[in-house]
Amino acid sequence: MTAAVGSIRTDLVSIVGESGIVTDPDSCASRRVDLHIPSYVVYPDGAEKVAAILHLAAENDLAVVPFRNGTKLSTGNPPRRYDIALSLKEMNRVWHFEAADLTISLEPGMKFGDFQEFVGRSGLWLPLDPRGGAQASIGGMIAANATGSLRQGFGGPRDMVIGLKIATTDGKIVKTGGRVVKNVAGYDLGKLMVGSYGTLGVIVEVNLKLYPKPPEWVTFAIRVSGLDQVRDLRGSILRSPLDALRLVLLDAAAVALMRREHQPERQGAEVWIEIGGSHRVINRCESELGQIAKSVGAGLSRLEGADALWKCFSDLPAWLQQEHSKVVVLKVALPIAASEEFLSLARQHAGGVRLAGFAQMGVGIIHVCLLPETHSANLVELVERLRKTAVTLGGTLVVEHCPIEIKGGLDAWGATGDDFEAMRKLKSVWDPKGILAPGRFVGGI
Amino acid sequence: MKLSALARDLARIVGEDGALWRSEDLMLYEYDALSSLRQPDVVVFPRTTAEVVQIVKLAAARNMVVVARGAGTGLSGGSVATEGGILIGFSRMKQIVEIDLENQRARVQPGVVNLDMTLAVTDQGYYYAPDPSSQKACTIGGNVAENSGGPHTLAYGVTTNHVLGLEIVLPSGEVIHPGAAHWDRPGYDLTGLFVGSEGTLGIVTEITVRLSRKPEAVKTILAIYDQVADATRTVTSITARGITPAALEMMDGFTLRAVEAATHAGYPMDCAAVLLIEVEGLREAVEDHSDDIEAVCRENHAREVRRAKTSEERELLWKGRKTAFGALGRISPNYYVQDGVIPRTRLPEMLEFIGNIEKKYDLHIGNIFHAGDGNLHPLIMYDSRDRAQTARVLQAAKEIIVKCVEMGGSITGEHGVGLEKSDLMPLIFSEVDLEMMARIKSIFNPLGRFNPGKVLPTGKMCGELRVEMAVGGTI
Repeated sequence: MTAAVGSIRTDLVSIVGESGIVTDPDSCASRRVDLHIPSYVVYPDGAEKVAAILHLAAENDLAVVPFRNGTKLSTGNPPRRYDIALSLKEMNRVWHFEAADLTISLEPGMKFGDFQEFVGRSGLWLPLDPRGGAQASIGGMIAANATGSLRQGFGGPRDMVIGLKIATTDGKIVKTGGRVVKNVAGYDLGKLMVGSYGTLGVIVEVNLKLYPKPPEWVTFAIRVSGLDQVRDLRGSILRSPLDALRLVLLDAAAVALMRREHQPERQGAEVWIEIGGSHRVINRCESELGQIAKSVGAGLSRLEGADALWKCFSDLPAWLQQEHSKVVVLKVALPIAASEEFLSLARQHAGGVRLAGFAQMGVGIIHVCLLPETHSANLVELVERLRKTAVTLGGTLVVEHCPIEIKGGLDAWGATGDDFEAMRKLKSVWDPKGILAPGRFVGGI
Repeated sequence: MKLSALARDLARIVGEDGALWRSEDLMLYEYDALSSLRQPDVVVFPRTTAEVVQIVKLAAARNMVVVARGAGTGLSGGSVATEGGILIGFSRMKQIVEIDLENQRARVQPGVVNLDMTLAVTDQGYYYAPDPSSQKACTIGGNVAENSGGPHTLAYGVTTNHVLGLEIVLPSGEVIHPGAAHWDRPGYDLTGLFVGSEGTLGIVTEITVRLSRKPEAVKTILAIYDQVADATRTVTSITARGITPAALEMMDGFTLRAVEAATHAGYPMDCAAVLLIEVEGLREAVEDHSDDIEAVCRENHAREVRRAKTSEERELLWKGRKTAFGALGRISPNYYVQDGVIPRTRLPEMLEFIGNIEKKYDLHIGNIFHAGDGNLHPLIMYDSRDRAQTARVLQAAKEIIVKCVEMGGSITGEHGVGLEKSDLMPLIFSEVDLEMMARIKSIFNPLGRFNPGKVLPTGKMCGELRVEMAVGGTI
């Protein structure tokens, strides 16, 4: 512990009180980010306290990583340094909820599961299924722009955030947007926060749009035998008038993982399509999808236990991290029509490494899980090769999770573009001392 | 007038036919849809990004102001060169560079007219979703600058939700490419920052837009009311019922009579208000929702509920709505349109408030609302030659905007801050908020040469005076 670190305990206590700070080695170790262990874990219970902590940290040049449950902390490069773990656990209050307006204003620490239950009582929901599932927090989902399979029907946090308050490293609170669903006053600073992984400021208040829940929903499954068939299916479904809520291709290994089966590839790949609406809407979709499936020589069935399976989908990363210590989870973003080619090339590159692919067919986002049976030095090389493939196809690849042993050898984000200098300057405006998650983000930001 | 040295240098970049410098030519560029303000020193029409870069570098060397302009349909003064300088017109950069339907996207130059994007892909069953009322004239570049909305943004979102990537020329002449041709490029979302920045951070020279598949069925419903309050209550009931129409518009009787006289769309002349409601999607979903909506309208005492039977009927109804501002222009020498937003449940209260304002200031106010998302466009009729009346207009407009803010709303939903409202920004943003915006602006536009006097408060003159001069046409 450096002198500066030791001397600020009193100051931190003056902000959060004795009960709002933890320094024992076990607790600190549990808040590790990669191999870095913080000296303090602090639990502010209000926006002003978060701002005060950030200001104190900036004055003393101490590095801060904000988190709630840490469901996405494995994403990013190892921090250059890390002194204070800033927990948003105590920030759970709902400030404003007007069901008839379909808007809500709340603190960022509320768990997504609790949130859905709360707004669900009014027949509403936030149509997201982020990794981390119910354990993810509202603030974390925004900071990571975390989306799942519902992206097809509803977009992501970027489309749902209507206002934010952000604590900055100069101890202030900046507001952007507002509480209404349509608003173009001023620069849209909220967009900068979405997907910034807590490297610009700490989100302390969130205003969101909400959505009415569909009366019924059903998931259909189409078993497919090859990527050519998938390409035809994708084209037909996306050109059809059907509005899918979810549209996902799971390769054979992915189907096995979803069903938590350890013997892979017993069956083929599947396309899952979720449709919401009234009974007659669902019937119409079933008949349209049946014809589309038939036209590519496949069959359509209703997926049994779909709700539980979709839950598995968002819980999968956490489950994999427990079950497979060597798992690598990659997020590949591509032009929509490049998905099949990427998956085909990825399989060739993978060689003996087991690979499971989950593709959001109408969005162009593929999650690839690499499941090496043994520790393999070739993993870094494989990821680099997959990244090169993604870039050649006009896309990007982010390492969302990988074993710590190979983290040093991989850049989580990939190459920067001609707008990187602008990003670097933005970082220096928001966080001139570079104390927020230093080194974790794109281009070493 | 002799070709100035500036115009000569610019003509060297874009050709003799690409620059305007005579006062009579510049007159066309001294206004937008807010008001007539001031002429630029020169207007220049580049054809390529490279030419824009050369123009911007030339401006930098001469320390001159640069303002970008699409079709000049903006309602907040965003594209007017209020401090003179070089106005870059994009009417020669109107190529749709690439249409890629398999990837549901297109690359366009900024001068492409909004509706032309849709027309280019409509036969293939696609369209570009944001649909400002001026979509037959306004450009996608201008839409990006203002983050424009339109009636159908209720269901599909505004411009920012449909832009994947941009090419931008910064005041230094540097060209950057935020975003990508796919979603979720890692890094800060500069695309999201630039959309809606009103040309104050950089000049957009190419846009990658997302195209949407056209819905299978569209149903347009006209609900007619004898009481305004019944119409506004219907709006809140529809939302509360869990139905999200594609569009949910309201016009009051005063506006309707002007619209009907101008367009003969078949609107009733004797009612207090109508709702124009559109549902889109799968045929069965549209039928479900139309039935539900009709029931809600009747529960709220609609006098009559009509469904457009043909696409011609539908288009006529929309023509009435989309040309409403012009129709009111026929009956009044001037009008001042406000663009406030309130939480949608407060609509009944707000309309009552506007009615009181009308009486208090002895004015006529037409109400056209994107009611579904709480976006109000009260149009205040006046004659700018009547100075006393003009002063009352400004007072009334200000009271309405202040009321929006009090209700938890915003000073602009889709028209932008521009010149008109830059000094109203402190109504909703603190000094800290504005300071952060100013710091971000200074990253890109440190000398303030790009579109000065827009978005952020200038402090040069008091806000009311600026608006007064704009509305009175005397800036």
